[in-house]
Amino acid sequence: MAEAAPLSREEFQQLCDYLYRRTGMVFTETKRYYVERRVHDRMAATSSPTFSSYFGRLRANAQTELEHFINAFTVNETYFYREDDQLACLTKDLLVERTRAKKPGASIRIWSAPCSTGEEPYSIGMWLLENWPRVDDYDIEILGSDIDTQVLAHAQAGIFGKRALMRLSPYLVAKYFSPLQDDQWKILDELRDSVRFSSVNLVEPNDTRRHGQFDVIFCRNVLIYFDDTSRRIAAENLYENLLPGGFICLGHTESMSRISPLFEVRRFSDAIVYQRPAGGEGHG
Amino acid sequence: MDNLKTILIVDDASLVRLYYRSILEPAGFRIEEALNGVEALEKLQSAAVDLLIVDINMPLMDGLTMLETLRQMALPIAATPALITSTESADKDFAAARAAGANYYLVKPVDRDSLLEVAAMLCGAPQ
Repeated sequence: MAEAAPLSREEFQQLCDYLYRRTGMVFTETKRYYVERRVHDRMAATSSPTFSSYFGRLRANAQTELEHFINAFTVNETYFYREDDQLACLTKDLLVERTRAKKPGASIRIWSAPCSTGEEPYSIGMWLLENWPRVDDYDIEILGSDIDTQVLAHAQAGIFGKRALMRLSPYLVAKYFSPLQDDQWKILDELRDSVRFSSVNLVEPNDTRRHGQFDVIFCRNVLIYFDDTSRRIAAENLYENLLPGGFICLGHTESMSRISPLFEVRRFSDAIVYQRPAGGEGHG
Repeated sequence: MDNLKTILIVDDASLVRLYYRSILEPAGFRIEEALNGVEALEKLQSAAVDLLIVDINMPLMDGLTMLETLRQMALPIAATPALITSTESADKDFAAARAAGANYYLVKPVDRDSLLEVAAMLCGAPQ
């Protein structure tokens, strides 16, 4: 197939505006290469000869094609035990504080958003089994969500390549995975069943609110893709999704203080975490 | 044929089943799992085990109802030793478990050493 033509400045802008309206994600000329490559992939997949024919198809079939389109766009690079100082903080500080007022058998709700192919929520389960001796004392619920339904299917299957396991010790790989062929490993059934997966758009309140409130939310390296307005909307949604006194962990390079004044900064020995104030009123 | 003792872990929380399994399996026990009382009784009909580790609060059939039902069944299945693990820790909970036919009761969180010691004792495994 001949090399697809580059998008004109107007076409590129039109596409970015549309993407922003539908998902809250912001792409500018600096991301042109990245955007164009994925547009060309989807043009080829849908046999669209020109950008305008593809764009027409995208808008006409917003349900299905938009889903494919978003799937091609989102960044899904991750691995087990990524940024594990936050996991250390979870068991050393956050859960200790969250369980202080809970009765044995009460629920602890943890949300990984976005979870991509599942490495993060499964890492949370593994980390708790390895590092938190009260894992049988509470009803632990782990939710993994992503806007991209294709990665969620992958997450649910629980099959991973070498790259995803690179940070895990051979002991952990042997304990929690069974080897398949071709450098692939399958996560143990119990660990797979301990995570519930769901498709969630973080800037869509109807999407986020149906999952209720959580003790801890991991929301790492996604807000950086949003512009100021969507970032603020997402932060306000996440605030509503936290129980009073609940915690949210962002990526290392992200700061909630620049996004929203709703949260309190908490500095623990392993990580900086943001908290919905314990007496915090609902927002709006 | 090996001499491994088989333990059936009955708990609706998959992380808890995995937690107990990862303690017991390396110590030389063979592990089976069930998500609730109904599934456990079904499994017991097809293959006997040496010990049951049973949670109390479970959907479909709770642990105490399951034990009461089990103790009414024919021997030798009816006599399978049973360890209750639960977050409930009041005297009335211990009494209810004894009345249902439990042999031992551990309050969650269950630590590794207690689980190994009680499991070995109840299924007569050499320690």
